[in-house]
Amino acid sequence: MSLVWKTTRTLAALLLLFFVVGPLLWLGVLAFAGDWRSPDLLPSTWTLQWWDTVFSDSRFLDSVVLSFTTAPLVTFISMAICLPAAYAFARFDFPGRQFFLIGIFATNAFPRFGLFIAMASLFYTLDLMNSFAGVIIVQLVGTIVFMTWIPAAAFAAIPRSVEEAARDAGAGALRVFFRITLPMAAPGIIVAVILSFLAAFDEAQGTFLVGNPDYVTMPTQMYQLIGHYPRQVSAVFSVLLSIPSVVLLLLVRKRVTGGAVAEGFQLR
Amino acid sequence: MRRRPVTGLLAIAPPVIVIALFVGLPMVSAMLYTLGDTGGLNSTIGSIAQHQHTPERGWLTLDAYREVFADESFRASLVATIVVTLVATVLVTILGWGIALYGRFHDGPLSRLLTGVSIVPMFIPAVIGAYSMLTFYAPNGMLRTIGLALGWDSAPTLSYTLTGVTLGSVWSNLPLTVLLISSGLGGVPQTLIDASRDAGAGPVRRFRKVILPLTTVPTIIAATFSAIGILGSFTLPYVLGPTARNILGPLMDDTYSAFNMPQQAQVMAVVVFGLALVASIAYVWANYRSARRSEVLR
Repeated sequence: MSLVWKTTRTLAALLLLFFVVGPLLWLGVLAFAGDWRSPDLLPSTWTLQWWDTVFSDSRFLDSVVLSFTTAPLVTFISMAICLPAAYAFARFDFPGRQFFLIGIFATNAFPRFGLFIAMASLFYTLDLMNSFAGVIIVQLVGTIVFMTWIPAAAFAAIPRSVEEAARDAGAGALRVFFRITLPMAAPGIIVAVILSFLAAFDEAQGTFLVGNPDYVTMPTQMYQLIGHYPRQVSAVFSVLLSIPSVVLLLLVRKRVTGGAVAEGFQLR
Repeated sequence: MRRRPVTGLLAIAPPVIVIALFVGLPMVSAMLYTLGDTGGLNSTIGSIAQHQHTPERGWLTLDAYREVFADESFRASLVATIVVTLVATVLVTILGWGIALYGRFHDGPLSRLLTGVSIVPMFIPAVIGAYSMLTFYAPNGMLRTIGLALGWDSAPTLSYTLTGVTLGSVWSNLPLTVLLISSGLGGVPQTLIDASRDAGAGPVRRFRKVILPLTTVPTIIAATFSAIGILGSFTLPYVLGPTARNILGPLMDDTYSAFNMPQQAQVMAVVVFGLALVASIAYVWANYRSARRSEVLR
C-alpha cells in the first residue's frame, strides 16, 4: 500500500469522524463547562452546576417520566396492531396488497407539519387535544411504517419450506408460528421495535401541538430550552436525552448494519 | 404466496385504519381546505383562520395557491428547499457510497469503525442532532476552534445558514444511505467481480460494468428516502437554519403559528407533498424493476 493512499485514507476517516461525532462530542463537553473563552480548545473550569439546574427542576423530571411512559406504550401498541399485518403482507395474497403497502409509505411523504395542523381539527372534534390519548396517537402514527415494513421483510425472508417441514412433522399452525417463524424473524422485529421506540421518543412537533401545556415530553422540553436557557442547560438535557438512544444503539448495532433495515425498505 | 383475501385484509385492517383515520383523512381535508373548503373537519380551523380564501362561486378555488405563489418569500424558500434537497441528497449519496465501498472491499477494524460511526445519527433524536450542529458550527463552535488551532483563520460559521442546513441534512441521512448501499453492495457476488478481473477489466471498468448496474436500485431507494426526508424536514432547518430564506418547513410554521394563516401553510404542505411524490416516482420504479428482476432470477 502506498504512503499517499494511506495518508488520504487516514485523513478521510478523521474528517468523517469529525463531521459525524464532532457535534455530539462538543455538546458533551459543553454539558460540564464552567468558564469557556472562545478560541480555547477546552473549558478553563469544569462544573456540575448545570446538572443540578436540570435535576432540581421538577418540570424536567416530569418530562423524563412522561417520555418513558409514552414511548414504550406506543411501541407496544404499534407491535400489537402492526405485526399481524406485517405477517399478512409477507405471506398472504389479497386484493389491494400492493396498494396498501405503498399507501402506508405514501402517507409518510406528506410533510408532518401540514399533517399536524390538519390533525388538530380532527382532534378538536374528537376531544383529544391536550390529552394523553392524543399524544399516544400522534406518536403511534410515525411508528407504523417501521413496524410494518421491516418485520414484513423479515417474515418474507424465511423460506416457506422451513414452516412446511414443521407442519409435516405434525406441529399446528400456532405452534409453527411461535416456535419457528417468530424466532427466525426476531432480528428484524427487534430492529423495528427499536426504530419505533426512537421514532416515538423523538416525536416533538405533534406532541407539542397536541399535548401542550399538560403533556410535555423530553424533546418538546428541549425545543423550549433552546434559546431560553444557558447553552449548558440544553447540553445537559441533550446528554440525558441521548442516553436511551445510545444504549439501544449499542444493543442492536450489529443487527442494524447486518441488513435488517435495508431489507425493510425494499417493497416485495 | 397463498391467496387469503379475508384473513389478509383482516390482519392489515388495524394499521390501515389508524393511518386512514389519523393521516389519510386529515391529508384529504387539508387538501380540500387549500382549495377553499371550510365545511366538515375544516370548520374549526376555518372559523379561526385569517386571510382565508373561500370560493365566491362554485365549490372550490385556487386563490390560496395564487396568493402563496405570488409571494416573494415563498418562492425564495421553494427554490432554497429544492436546492438544499438536491445538493444534500447528492452529497449524502456520494459519501454513503464511499463508506459502503470501503466497507465492502477493505474488511478491517477501520472500515467497521467507519460504518459503525456513520449510523450513529440514526439513533440521535432530531432536536439533539440539530442543536449539536448549531453549537458545532457556531462562531465559537468546534469547527472554528479546531480550525483556528490548526492555523485556518477563516474557518466559516455555518450556524444559521443554508450551507449548515445542507450539511446537517447530510448528517441525518447518512445512516440509512450507508445501510442501504452497503446491503446492495453486499449482494454483488464476489465471483462476478473476480471473473471480470480475470477477463482483464480494470477497477474503473469493473465498477461501471459490474458493481454499478447491480446497485442502482438500492442507490435510488436511498436517495429517494433522503430527498423526501429533507423536503419535509422541520426540526433541523428550524434550529440550524437562517431566519429568512430558510427552507419551507419553518416557513410553514411561521405562516401557521405567527401569522395565523393555516390555509397558506397547508398550501405549502401540499406543494412539498407534490415534490415528495415526484421524488417517489423513481422509488416505485426502482422497486418495480428489482421485483421483476428477482422474478426473472427465480
